[in-house]
Order: sequence, then structure tokens, then C-alpha cells
Amino acid sequence: MSTIPPTQAQQNAWKKSPDSELYINPLPVRIWHWLNAVGFVALILTGIQIRYANMFNVLSFETAIKTHNWVAFTVIANYFVWLGFYLFSDRITVYHPELNPRKFFDKAFKQFMYYSYGIFKGEPSPHKVLAYDKFNPMQSITYQIVMLLVVPVQFITGIMMWDIKRFEGPIAMLGGIHTVDTVHVLIFIFFVSFTLVHAYMGALGHTPSAHFKEMFTGYEEAEEKSDQ
Amino acid sequence: MVRSLIGGSPVNIPVVVSALVFCMLFSTILYPSPVAEISAEPVTTQDSPADIPVDVGADHLAILKKNTKCLKCHKKKKFKQLESGEQLSLQVSREDFIGSAHGEIGCTSCHEAIGNRKHPSKKTNITINSQRDYSVEMSQSCRLCHNENYTQYQSSIHASMVAQGSTEAPVCADCHSAHAVETMADYKPETGLPCKNCHENLYNAYAESVHGEARSNGNVIRDTHIQAPICADCHQAHEVNPLAIGDTLRSTCIGCHENVILLHNQWLPNAGTHLDIVSCAVCHAPFAKHKFDLHLYDNISQLPVSLQEGDEAIQQQLRVMEEAGGSVVDTLKTWRAKQGDDEQGQNSDISIRGRMEVMSGIAAHQIASKGFALRTCDSCHQDDPRKNQNVTLSVTKADGRRESFEANRDVLKSVTAVNSISDFYALGGNPNKLLDMLLLVSLAIGIAIPIGHFTIGEMIKENIERGEQ
Repeated sequence: MSTIPPTQAQQNAWKKSPDSELYINPLPVRIWHWLNAVGFVALILTGIQIRYANMFNVLSFETAIKTHNWVAFTVIANYFVWLGFYLFSDRITVYHPELNPRKFFDKAFKQFMYYSYGIFKGEPSPHKVLAYDKFNPMQSITYQIVMLLVVPVQFITGIMMWDIKRFEGPIAMLGGIHTVDTVHVLIFIFFVSFTLVHAYMGALGHTPSAHFKEMFTGYEEAEEKSDQ
Repeated sequence: MVRSLIGGSPVNIPVVVSALVFCMLFSTILYPSPVAEISAEPVTTQDSPADIPVDVGADHLAILKKNTKCLKCHKKKKFKQLESGEQLSLQVSREDFIGSAHGEIGCTSCHEAIGNRKHPSKKTNITINSQRDYSVEMSQSCRLCHNENYTQYQSSIHASMVAQGSTEAPVCADCHSAHAVETMADYKPETGLPCKNCHENLYNAYAESVHGEARSNGNVIRDTHIQAPICADCHQAHEVNPLAIGDTLRSTCIGCHENVILLHNQWLPNAGTHLDIVSCAVCHAPFAKHKFDLHLYDNISQLPVSLQEGDEAIQQQLRVMEEAGGSVVDTLKTWRAKQGDDEQGQNSDISIRGRMEVMSGIAAHQIASKGFALRTCDSCHQDDPRKNQNVTLSVTKADGRRESFEANRDVLKSVTAVNSISDFYALGGNPNKLLDMLLLVSLAIGIAIPIGHFTIGEMIKENIERGEQ
């Protein structure tokens, strides 16, 4: 028995369904990402206002602190949206599609070479974006370090500074409030360049807006284009 | 019958005698002698720590009789030549003494040495070095009855200074007078005496403060009756301590202003920490100048470390720091080395802690009413070079007083401060210079990578296109 091939309309409908391989950013991920993005920018800006009140006078110190605290708690709560989604869904594979270190580093090198040279020659990305294999190895390792190490440390140091008296003991264990603040500021400094580079790399899709669009719609656009 | 010498009329002798007796009795009622003032009932002297009832019966009358004997001679202007060349006045005002809290006590109760032997004469002369020495020595006699107060005094800054040889610090008689000792009932604290005698500037600052004005207005603040504090309420009457050391000031203020923590919690982030490390006067004496005041802290005994005799190396280090803008960290190192030596190699746990303080003791007394209190964070949390905020390193001296040495302000911004001044950091007030540079580098990387990557990409594309052509 020969099967009837799907019509173009059927193919398009399937591509736009949540079961599609091109549905790479489910709703919780999109909510988390954009709330996180707005939160990070707000935290960086209020952080600069707090630290350099003598240079910028957009908010009073008191308002900057209160805004920073409220935004920070929203970002922390939002972190658990991300963590919960990946822990309790099968999408966790996007970070580790296959646990093979040799393959991983081999792919990471190829990806690096692509960003360094191939991209300018118009070569296709060595990594094919799929629903369960979303990240290239460079993204995967970077996002895991950021989300599982850097961001939690930033949250913890921030919470300690939010209520120094309550966390007196842990602060002393970490070497005092000056140390805790220094770690918090170092991570803030890292996020300044990370955010800028992250936004730039978001524009390195097949069109400058492709990745931004997919983070709003949830669907990978590249595949659709290549089919056309 | 006897005839009058003037009028020649006869005088009735029994009537005259009766009249004289009546007059004497009447005059006794009108002008009682000091002895007659004393009640025959046993009374308790005010502020008598031993609370021993003073029997003013027959024995007491004997004491007063003896006192009268002493006062008879000592009302005269007489002086004793002291070894120091000073002249000690031996004159005691009868009125002052009898009207004093000690008016019912025998002279020899305090002047024991004189009571137990013959009165000193030229032959049995008592050698006294100086008036000061005599006052210090005589303070011991106060202890006999006022042991509790004397013990409290012994742990005061005044006693520490006396022990260190100060000739200025007060002993009992300097505040209470030697012979005209006031009763508690007569004591009027709002005059600021006796503290004002030595601390006039501080008293004047206090008198103009919300506390002082409330006192002079009958203890009324904003139409509410409030018992406003006077010197001894904050500093204690006998266990006088400088409030700037440790947590004394904070707990003293909160002692009366019980809801302070709750009120600050309503608006001030990290209110508890602020109350711990910002002196109340920093915000509540709004016109006072501020400083970051660092002190060396012993984390084991949980007390600020104090400078002892023989700490020459540290004293030298502090002087160098002040004169040549040396580092606070060097002082910490010297101190740690000294502690190591003292404790035979045992690890000492000395760190530098900081507080926000007002620049002077006068400013600390200029507390304004609540409406004038600072609610701005800028004075501590803004790194404004125009303000030229002072940084000092304070140490408690052996006599209990606090001495501040000026330090370089940049010490709070240096990289080493993260370790050496680990427990003190004013967010935004003293940003670390290295972190500022790293932020610029990070910003530069964040801009350079996209621009660089884009530019290199365009160049490569151009080359490829040229190659294809």
C-alpha cells in the first residue's frame, strides 16, 4: 500500500504544532527567557545606579535598592520556572542530547571554527537545531555554567546582602560582607559583557532577527526557509 | 520685792524668771540650733549603700558635739603646707557641712586617721604630697559607706584615667564636694552639674538638643510628657563610660526608644545592620560631619582591642599612618604580629571593623528632633570626592579613652580591604578601584566582541567576493 504524501498545507500545520521538531522554545521557556532578560537588564542598570550614585542620578539610592531587590526576587522566582520546566519535562535533553565527552568537544571545536570563519563564508552551522537538541555544544556548556553555577551564586550573595543580619553566620563563613559583595560585583561585571555578547550572538541566525523571532514564537524559522 | 533701777517700781522676780524661760523656749522654737533640728527618731541617710540606720539618739548627739568641736577650729582660714608646695585649705564651712547629706555624720567617720590618734600637730605632722593625692586617698573613705557606688566608679573611665596618672579625672570629692555633699533631694540634674564643670562644651551641645530642650521645657516633647535623659541617664552616674566604644551607645538609645528597630524596619533596608554600624547621631544630629571610623576588633573576646602600655610599635605605626598617609593594613599586620608574639605563636583573630560615626563628641550630643533626622542614604552610600569624608582608625587607650588617627580614605577602596576590612563595606560608598577597572574591561569586551566579529566578518566576506571575481 502506498501512503499518500502530506500536502504542503498539512506539512505547514505539522511544523506549527507543539509536536513539531521545530517547536524548540515551549511557552515556559519563552516566559522565563524574556522575564529573565528584562530582569537582568533592570538589575544591571539599578546595580550601576547603586554603585555609581555619584555619576548617575536617575533613581535615588533608596529607590534603586528597593527596585533592585524586587526585580531580583522576581528573577529568582523565575529561575525556578526554568529549573522546574527542565527537571520535570523530557526537554532536559537539550542540554545533553548524548553523553559522549569526545563527541561533545569535537562538535564544540567545529562550532567554534564556524563562528570564527565559516559563518562569514556562508557555510551552514554544523549544529542542526531540533526540539530535543536545541543548543550547540558552545551554548550548552556556557548556559549550564551560567545557570547552574554563576546565577545561583549571584542569587545567594544577593540574598545575603538583602538581609545581612539574618545571614550573619553564612556571611562570616564566606569571609565577611566585603567578600560577599565583591563576589556579587564580579558576577555583575561578567554579566555586563555576557548580556552584550549574548544579544549579538542572537543576531547571528540565518537572518539577524531569526533567533529573536523564534524566542517569541517558539518555532525555529530556519528549517521552514530551507524547505521553501 | 526689788525696785527697778529706772522706774523705781517694784519687780516681781518669779514673773521675770518665768518670762525669761518662756522667751528662751520660744526663741528655741523660732531659731532652732542645728542640734535641735535632729530628730530623736532613728533615720536612714539618703544614698547610704549600707542602709545603716543612723541613730541620732544619745550617741549621735555626742557625735554632733564632737563635730561642733572640729568645726569650731576649722571655720578659721587655715592652710597646710603640702610637699608639692600647694596650700591645702583646712577651712570647713559649718553651714555647708551641717546642711549637707553628711551633716549628721561624725567628721572622724571619714577622717579616720585623725580620729584614731591625737589631732595632728607640728610634732605629729601628717605628710601630704599634693591636694590631688589627698583627694584620691580620701576617696577610700567614701567606700566605707558607698561601696556599691565606689565599685561602679572603679570600672569607669574616670577611675581608669586616675589609675593611669591623670590629674584631671575626677575622684569622689570632685563631683560631690568634700564637705558640702548634696542630698539626692537637693540634686538638680538639669543644671548639668557636676559633669558640666569638665564637659561644658558637651553639655552646651546637649542643652540645645531635643533632649536638653525637653528637659528645660519640663520634659515635654510635642505636647507629650517624656522623661528626657540627662548626662547620667546615658553615661551612668558612677560607672561613667564613653559611649562611642562597643555597642553601648546603641543599647543606651534603644533602652528608651524601644520601638526604634520596628520603626527603622518599616523603611530602611537592612535596618538591623544599620543600627549596628551607624551611630545614632550620624542621622539624628543632621548637621554633624561624618567619618568612616575603623577599629581593631578581637573576634575571640568580641571586643575592640585596646592599646596597652608597651605597645610602642603599634603607637609608632599609628603615628606613621596619620603623618605619612600610611596604610591601616600595616597597623593590622603589626598588631597581629604582636598578638602572635604575646600568645607564643597562637593564632590571634584580629580584624578591622568599621562604623559610621560623627566627627566629634560635641556632634554626638546635638541630637535633633525626629523631623530633622537624615533620611538620605547619600552621605554614606555615595562615593563623592567633594565631601572628602574622613576615615579614621580609632583605638581604645589604656585609660579607656578613645583616640582616632586619620587614615587614607583610599584604604577602603583598595583590593586588600576585601580581606583586611572584611566586615565593613558601605555599598556604593567606597567602591573597590580594581572592580571599577574590571567593569570597564567587561564593558569594553561586551562592545569589542560584537564590533570585532562583525568587522572581521565583513572583511572576510569582501576578500571572498574579490577572490570569486
